Amino acid sequence: MLYRQRTLNTPHGCIKTPVLFPVRNIGKRSSDNTPAYADAIPDLRTAMVNARAIRQRDPQWNRLLNGATLREEMDIPEETVIFADSGGFDFQAGDVDTTPARTLETQRQIGADILGTVDRPISRENRDRENQRRISDSAEYAVEASDEHDGEELLFASIHGLDPETVQNNVRYLERNGDFDGYALGSLVPVRTDYKKVTSIILAARRATDKHLHVYGLGGLVYQPLLLYLGVDSFDSSAFIRSAGNRNYLVPGFGGQELKHVTELSYLPCSCPVCRDTPFTELREDRNALTKHNLWALTMELRRFRYMVAANEDVEAYLDLRFQGNEVTKRAYRQAKQQVRRLT
Amino acid sequence: MTNDTFSITDEQRDYSQFGLEENPFPYSPVPDNDPALYCGQEHATRAISDTVSTMLSTGKSKHLVVTAKYGNGKSHTLKYTRSLVRDREDVVVGYVAQPGEGFRDIYHEFVYDLGFDRIQTLAYEYLAQVARNTTDCNPTDASTVEQLIDDGEVLLSELVPEAVQQLNNVTKFADFARAIVHMVYEDTNLYAWQWLTAEGIRYEQRKEMEIHSALDDDTTSVRAFTALKNLLLDLGYTGVFVFVDEFESIARLSAKAEQATLNSIRHLMDQNSHGLCMLFGCAPEVWQDVMSEYHAFSERIGQEVALRPLTDDHINKLVSTYIAPARTNGTGGVDPFTEESLSIIHQRSQGNIRQVLSVCSRVLDAAVDEERSRIDADFIQEEI
Repeated sequence: MLYRQRTLNTPHGCIKTPVLFPVRNIGKRSSDNTPAYADAIPDLRTAMVNARAIRQRDPQWNRLLNGATLREEMDIPEETVIFADSGGFDFQAGDVDTTPARTLETQRQIGADILGTVDRPISRENRDRENQRRISDSAEYAVEASDEHDGEELLFASIHGLDPETVQNNVRYLERNGDFDGYALGSLVPVRTDYKKVTSIILAARRATDKHLHVYGLGGLVYQPLLLYLGVDSFDSSAFIRSAGNRNYLVPGFGGQELKHVTELSYLPCSCPVCRDTPFTELREDRNALTKHNLWALTMELRRFRYMVAANEDVEAYLDLRFQGNEVTKRAYRQAKQQVRRLT
Repeated sequence: MTNDTFSITDEQRDYSQFGLEENPFPYSPVPDNDPALYCGQEHATRAISDTVSTMLSTGKSKHLVVTAKYGNGKSHTLKYTRSLVRDREDVVVGYVAQPGEGFRDIYHEFVYDLGFDRIQTLAYEYLAQVARNTTDCNPTDASTVEQLIDDGEVLLSELVPEAVQQLNNVTKFADFARAIVHMVYEDTNLYAWQWLTAEGIRYEQRKEMEIHSALDDDTTSVRAFTALKNLLLDLGYTGVFVFVDEFESIARLSAKAEQATLNSIRHLMDQNSHGLCMLFGCAPEVWQDVMSEYHAFSERIGQEVALRPLTDDHINKLVSTYIAPARTNGTGGVDPFTEESLSIIHQRSQGNIRQVLSVCSRVLDAAVDEERSRIDADFIQEEI
């Protein structure tokens, strides 16, 4: 097992890793659709935002330029650690409309603690040549960002690749040519059902560097234990919002359950502060409450894993149990185990 | 019922009475993969040397067929020649044990004989060439560029598209170019290898590598072979040697399949006027048929050389060469065989090398069992 615990020192405080960064939609819509969680969930003083989306929303951007802070806009405590990515996912189809310097300027303006470099995600649908170009572009953007960056914030180079060699090569290239506090691995969401590929890519990145490793977009319930097992230091997820939008109730160990199939139940089987006192019918109607519960579910997943390690329990045996209910994820975990032991 | 019918033991025979540490002759006289000895057939060695040397010195393709009856040393000759050329760094050598069902099988066996590692090394060699031309790095060989990639000194994503493009220009076969480049990726190198060996892969696996065609017939195999040879020439190799043994087995194919196979080889020769040397081992009667019925093919093979049965002198030399490494008593020659005994072996074997070796091996063991001090003519007569 490659699980590890570290401390990440940021301008807005220290956080213990591994840690989840819940995705905040601020900047994307007229209002942030993420309910307040920072005070309710004490070990979740983190947030992931899209720097490009914030800059592109003029009213909000003007307020920020006029002295407002993003933390005030988001109504979160001052000590919340914010990870601002470049919004590269928006460049999947279109052209890059920013520069590494401009993105850094935006990220600093919003008071982000962790800055993700400009990147151009890749996809299996692209021609190989196009993907290779995007991988090279992302690497060069990261090197440019490194040259521009001289602040206290942490700079994470965004890296892409759909195979272990490319990812490993990218990390080592950036180690040589830039100065980064960590690496953020992207483009894995479109291939997330190919567990073997995803875990082999993550493992390649993990083995290529001892620095902080973040994985973009895979912090949902199913992937979280795998990421922890593979030694990933942080991850982000918007699964709790998306699932709530679809009235899906996240249950650790089971994934998302559609509430429309559940009837004649007084209370849901979770002891989080949301479910504890809220009747089932009320919870089902309240999207905000569902979002909060789902975030609790993600947090509980992480807490449980941390507990197993702290209690000196056999984590692999715990994960065997954890994944036994689903053949696909069970196989994924078995493959990850073999990859960690270098058996494949 | 008793079980003493068979007497099975792992106790070794003692050959010390003959001043030998072991029986030096093979019990099953089949050619070694890497033969150390070659005896007689001076006319054949001259013809083979000429064919091989011409290709090496001029780069022009030249081909040869070696004919001989069964047991007279075709395979041994091909394998011995292979052992001489394959240590050269400027050529690539592949051995095809028999032509199979058609050219696709010849191509498959050839690539398989080169092996996964060699093809992967060629892929890295090509990346090294691309890196030399497009970056500030100057990798001299496959392992250097592999190290540069591992260390992150060059970006793989910058080398690969360029490599595919250049390789495509060289080979005129885009799918082949992609398969070669995919040999460097852990995730896809086995699929690439399967495609390159014409074993066939699933559509999804091809899609992963952006390979559009299947390499599953004689025509595409000829194309792939030519592409491989062009890749090698572009890398600075002098050429490719292909040894096709037991060529007579094409006679068991249907007339249509036989013609198709010969036509494919002919196309291959036509497409490769430089850098290709094919040496065939074939039974003379089949080669006669090919000569009379398939002119287009046989005329492209410049020369035929027939191996001859061994003479008395050859057999003496063969036996003494085999025995020499096993001697412990410092003597030489054919001892414990007498000249007369070898003469009888010659008569009985009619100079067939396989039979000579087989008889020598057998009578040597019999002589040990009977505690004889020499193997003379009488003993040979008794034993064979």
